[in-house]
Amino acid sequence: MALRVAILLFASLLLPPQAAQNLGTDLSGNPIHQLAPPGTKAVVLFFAASDCPISNRYIPEIERLNQEFASQGVAFWWVYPNPTDTAEVVHRHQQQFNFHAKIILDTGQRLTQMAHAAMTPEVAIFVPAASQLSEVYLGRIDNRYIALGQERPAATTHDLQSAIHAVLAHQLVPKPGGPAVGCAIVPLNAQ
Amino acid sequence: MRSPAYTLAIALLACMLSAAKPAQQNSSAASAPVTWNHDISPIVYRNCAVCHHPGGGGPFSLLSFRDALRWSRQIADVTGSRYMPPWLPAPGYGDFAGTRRLTDEQIALIRKWVESGMKEGDPAEAPTPPHFDTTWQLGKPDLVLTIDRPFTLAASGTDVFQNFVFPYTLSQTHFIRAVEILPSVPAAVHHANILIDRTASFRRAHPTDWQDGIPGMEIQLDAGNSFDPDSHFLFWKPDTPALEEPDGMPWHLDPGNDLVLNMHLKPSGKPEIVSAQIGLYFSAEPAVDHPMLLQLEDDRDLDIPPGARNFVVEDELTLPIDVKVFGVYPHAHYLGRKLAGWAILPNQQKKWLIRIPSWDIDRQSVYHYREPILLPRGTVLHMRYVYDNSADNIHNPTSPPVRVRSGNRSIDEMAHLWLQVLPVNTPKDGPDPRILLEKAWMEHRVKRGPDDVIARYNLAAAEAALAEYTAAAADYRRVLAVHPNDARTLNSLGAALQSAGDLIQAQTAFQQAIDRAPDSCDAEFNLAGLQLKLSQFDQAESHLRAVLRHCPDDASAHSALGLALAGKGDSAAAQAEFERALSLDPSDFTALYHLGENAIEAGSLDRAIDFLQKASAQRPDDLDTLEHLAMAFAESGRTADALTQLHAAEKIAPSDPALHALVSQLLASAGSLAEAVEEQKQALQLQANDADGWNNLGVLEARAGKTEAARADFQHALQLAPNHAQARANLARLNRQ
Repeated sequence: MALRVAILLFASLLLPPQAAQNLGTDLSGNPIHQLAPPGTKAVVLFFAASDCPISNRYIPEIERLNQEFASQGVAFWWVYPNPTDTAEVVHRHQQQFNFHAKIILDTGQRLTQMAHAAMTPEVAIFVPAASQLSEVYLGRIDNRYIALGQERPAATTHDLQSAIHAVLAHQLVPKPGGPAVGCAIVPLNAQ
Repeated sequence: MRSPAYTLAIALLACMLSAAKPAQQNSSAASAPVTWNHDISPIVYRNCAVCHHPGGGGPFSLLSFRDALRWSRQIADVTGSRYMPPWLPAPGYGDFAGTRRLTDEQIALIRKWVESGMKEGDPAEAPTPPHFDTTWQLGKPDLVLTIDRPFTLAASGTDVFQNFVFPYTLSQTHFIRAVEILPSVPAAVHHANILIDRTASFRRAHPTDWQDGIPGMEIQLDAGNSFDPDSHFLFWKPDTPALEEPDGMPWHLDPGNDLVLNMHLKPSGKPEIVSAQIGLYFSAEPAVDHPMLLQLEDDRDLDIPPGARNFVVEDELTLPIDVKVFGVYPHAHYLGRKLAGWAILPNQQKKWLIRIPSWDIDRQSVYHYREPILLPRGTVLHMRYVYDNSADNIHNPTSPPVRVRSGNRSIDEMAHLWLQVLPVNTPKDGPDPRILLEKAWMEHRVKRGPDDVIARYNLAAAEAALAEYTAAAADYRRVLAVHPNDARTLNSLGAALQSAGDLIQAQTAFQQAIDRAPDSCDAEFNLAGLQLKLSQFDQAESHLRAVLRHCPDDASAHSALGLALAGKGDSAAAQAEFERALSLDPSDFTALYHLGENAIEAGSLDRAIDFLQKASAQRPDDLDTLEHLAMAFAESGRTADALTQLHAAEKIAPSDPALHALVSQLLASAGSLAEAVEEQKQALQLQANDADGWNNLGVLEARAGKTEAARADFQHALQLAPNHAQARANLARLNRQ
């Protein structure tokens, strides 16, 4: 696939020093301040919802990518943006689907806004640069789903995987080849 | 005689979608706010909730405002794209029961509700959410069958097609009016077909691993030795958990049958334990109407080059009889794009059966017509399917595309259009009209594909069933030209030849079948049967003993051996074989009949009556049985019962003079001389040259005091047989009086 222009998708996000930033909480309610510990080459946020079937179907794929890239300085975070995904719900979800991940409850949808995510499943890749995290990718994981009800038997292009490879190789990061398909993130004021 | 007939038994079957009325229209004025309580919940409850409820097949519930709020954007999107509710047929091309297609107005209303902020509205206007049982929709089933070993569906990967065998555990036949499936993880099950495996052939083909489930998109089954075609769509999907058959049209399960559940499973992201249950609801009444599944297909022409976007295959079939069409099941795999079926009536009127403009195997279904469609004899059924094997077809299972032919794997293709038809306006005393359909169907198939040996075999079997034995033998021989060592075909050929009267060739064919498959009991049994007819009792005994070495519990082989032994004069050994046959199969006719006959000879009249009544229940039209039963009754002094049997026999064979003569004798012995005379006269009308009959009539007339008539009768007897001693003596006695 031809690589597209490698501009950053969005303007770099200037983040305050990470130590001062409350980015959400873990399942025990502890605030999370840092997404990219020293040595991190890329941060991947996987926006997930416990009740979204397509999001759930991607869990094995995210697990696979996490295992593939964990040793290469890629930090995967599972971000739960929906208000109904409380610590208890997500804990149960983790047990049911048996995944091992770093989880953030995006209770204020701060990460959702930071990444401009609108959908689960959707992934964002940030690259640390000095004290900033710059978003270089936002969108689908692969091309299995074209729209709700339009599904390939198996993915033929793996957008997220290609993007991570590009980041690690310091190459231009390709844009996703199509929209993310799944369940809309529920706005905080909706319920 | 056992005359085999195997047909390709193919998956599928039926759901009666509950007739859904058109969803409530929005009556609000254009300016009125659209609310959940007033406008949206009636649409959702009627069209979506059947799957979208806790424990339902949908991935989430939509039974409350909060639920709807959570999924509002998706609801607007998927109704707008018509992905939901799942409904593939184009409107106006078949009037189907349970249509789930939303109106344009309903879709616009949902969109408006979402765009206007998803208002809840006045709680007083809220309809009550529907209630769904978490288990059986039709109540407790009469029989529940369960997967032997639960199947673990992997967390990820492509869809899985798995076949689970459910042996039918009862020892008697039941008619099934409804079936339900509890898939244990409804959200992981796209759809499922129940196939009836009459011969447990699939289980026998997988002796070591059937309990684990066998992968495969479609399977072939051996339908066995009798014409019992697939007749019902037993097709399950999440919105039709209970499949109820119309009145008078239950299907049947016999001892030894299996049900095979062909499940299309979708990985959910975590391993799922699939442990399906099938619930069967029995019908107290047997089937009155006998439908049949008819298939148009063009698998032969499926040879789709990579990149082809508009690859067309077609088929057509002319109906030999009038039928009513109850339902339709179009089927292709992932490359199917446009599927259409229609009928051209003899008056050239075109009737659409179905048109699917955008096929999606994931949303396939059986569709039942709101009213069955009458198609007269001579109607031509048509099928036209278009396939897209380009990379632009997102369902294409292969990337990049490759050449695709027909086959049972998901990467192969299929082109099938199944119809459930009920023969109508057929004569009562004609052959089973389904055999006429089968013959027309198979004739068409062999015309299109002369090397289609399964169709050729089925055609031959249909011809044999229609007593067209010479044609049947010719077609069996064409099958043998391709598969010269096929024992079943050789056996069938022998059966057809025997029926055609060619006993020598029949014997040869049976012997060849035995040589090819020495373990198979059918041909050896048939050869023995033929030898029994030829009174070759020693050879018959030898073959039947061979049958019993391979099939020791074959009741009919035991009773046939009884016949052979009786023929040889060994009545004690014969009696033992008949009794053994009866212990294996209490309804074995041959054993019942001969045990009854022997009991009469032994003077055990009560036993004889018991055996013969049971024999007569098996074959109510068998004259010998009725006559023997009458004899047993008569000898027991139960003249009225004897007469009842003989009158029943007279109805079956009204022109049989011997029956009238027997009735006459019984009436005479009961003192009804006038009636006896009338019966004997009827006998003589049917057989005027029967000197004994005239003599008997003379005796009856004489006893009735009609001397002149009696004298004329004796003289008539003597004209026919001048040396008839009794008639001469009777006449002399009369003259002396």
